[in-house]
Amino acid sequence: MNLLPDWAEPVLRYMLEVGLRGTLQIAAISLAGSLLIGVTLGTLLTIRFLPSRALIRFYIEVWRGLPILVTLFLVFFVLPVINSRLEFDALISASIALTLWGSAQVAEATRGAVQSIPKEQHEAASALGFGWVGRHAFVILPQALRRLLPPLVSLLVNIIQNSTIAQVIGAPELLESAERQVERLAAPPPIGIGEVKAFPIYATVMVIFFLISFPLTRLSAYLERRLA
Amino acid sequence: MNLAVAFDWSFITENGDELLAGLRRTLQVSAIAIAGAFVIGLVLGAARAHRVPVVSQAAAVYVEIIRNTPILVQIFFLFFGLPQIGIILEPFTVAWLAVTIWGGAFNTENFRAGFEAVPHRFREAGFALGFGRLTTFLNVTLPIGGRIALPSSINTYISVVKNTSLMYVISYPELTTTALNINALTLQTIETFTTLAVTYLVIVWTMSASIRVVERHLALPEDAR
Repeated sequence: MNLLPDWAEPVLRYMLEVGLRGTLQIAAISLAGSLLIGVTLGTLLTIRFLPSRALIRFYIEVWRGLPILVTLFLVFFVLPVINSRLEFDALISASIALTLWGSAQVAEATRGAVQSIPKEQHEAASALGFGWVGRHAFVILPQALRRLLPPLVSLLVNIIQNSTIAQVIGAPELLESAERQVERLAAPPPIGIGEVKAFPIYATVMVIFFLISFPLTRLSAYLERRLA
Repeated sequence: MNLAVAFDWSFITENGDELLAGLRRTLQVSAIAIAGAFVIGLVLGAARAHRVPVVSQAAAVYVEIIRNTPILVQIFFLFFGLPQIGIILEPFTVAWLAVTIWGGAFNTENFRAGFEAVPHRFREAGFALGFGRLTTFLNVTLPIGGRIALPSSINTYISVVKNTSLMYVISYPELTTTALNINALTLQTIETFTTLAVTYLVIVWTMSASIRVVERHLALPEDAR
């Protein structure tokens, strides 16, 4: 740490302890939510029942079509107006917005993966006495999940990167923590150092995101090649 | 529907002009960025696919840096970070520059994949006919590989349009910033954000639909594989 100037250590620690932590929290909630909703909707989308398909299609096209920032504003500003019980703090609002977007991506990918499983697998499972739910839960989805793995790793990268939009509504994630530190340092001592350190701090944010994303994009590419 | 009743239609007539001005800036920034991303993708994608020394490696570094960092952080870096080292950019400049750099990186990958999908024997046939490297690229690789890359590159352009909404953080008055300013004045939250969302969906859905139309128009006479 001696290589760094005096002001850098507390800044870095705050960014990692508060910022990175928030980013990972948002990412974890959004990934879990996207998987749960996305896999369910994607599987239901393979049922040939027009009304349900139209409804799920609409869900997918809306949340995939909107800029995530606009979705975030819908969650953060519009939901509380519709019903005061739908008011969430910034971190949860960002997680909800990312879940809506992520689940739409997962649903589309799941539909493709489920439909790529040969018909014989369905027939064999039916012959063994599985109903629709059992057939999908125990036979089709476990096989489809293998094909889903590369896109899911890419999704995780995108969720982590897109979690930065939470900064816009002030949720404590990595970019927001960096911004707070830039502002603090600009203040006169003893609070700050009276200097703008935006360049090294935002460069550090880029480096941290790169260190997280790069191995994951490599992993996704590797999985894709191996499963191809 | 409760919402339909609550929607005050005078919102559109009262704020329509301002929203249209915002929409115009969104489309303007998008158009610049799409044109820029097209050129960057074409040139660097060709350099990557044909392993042009130095350019190819530099392009790979550029692509990895942009793809593995959030665009919002890139915008922060350009607008709040660069002034510290004396580079001060206008919000408009950052607006089109950020999405151009971002779209260019993704488009490089789109075009690289498209060009690499063109079978080697097609290029060899070009060389056998006496074409040089550049002529072969322009007459063989580009028309075939460009078509293969088209759907994914349009998807990148759609993302470019959506990403212009992030210029809210630098207060560039495109559509999203305009909508939030209107909301702050009128407090007509439901009207503001419904209008905003519907506008983006119309643009994005139109562009998505265009992929299918363009694909059909540009389909190769026979399957090029």
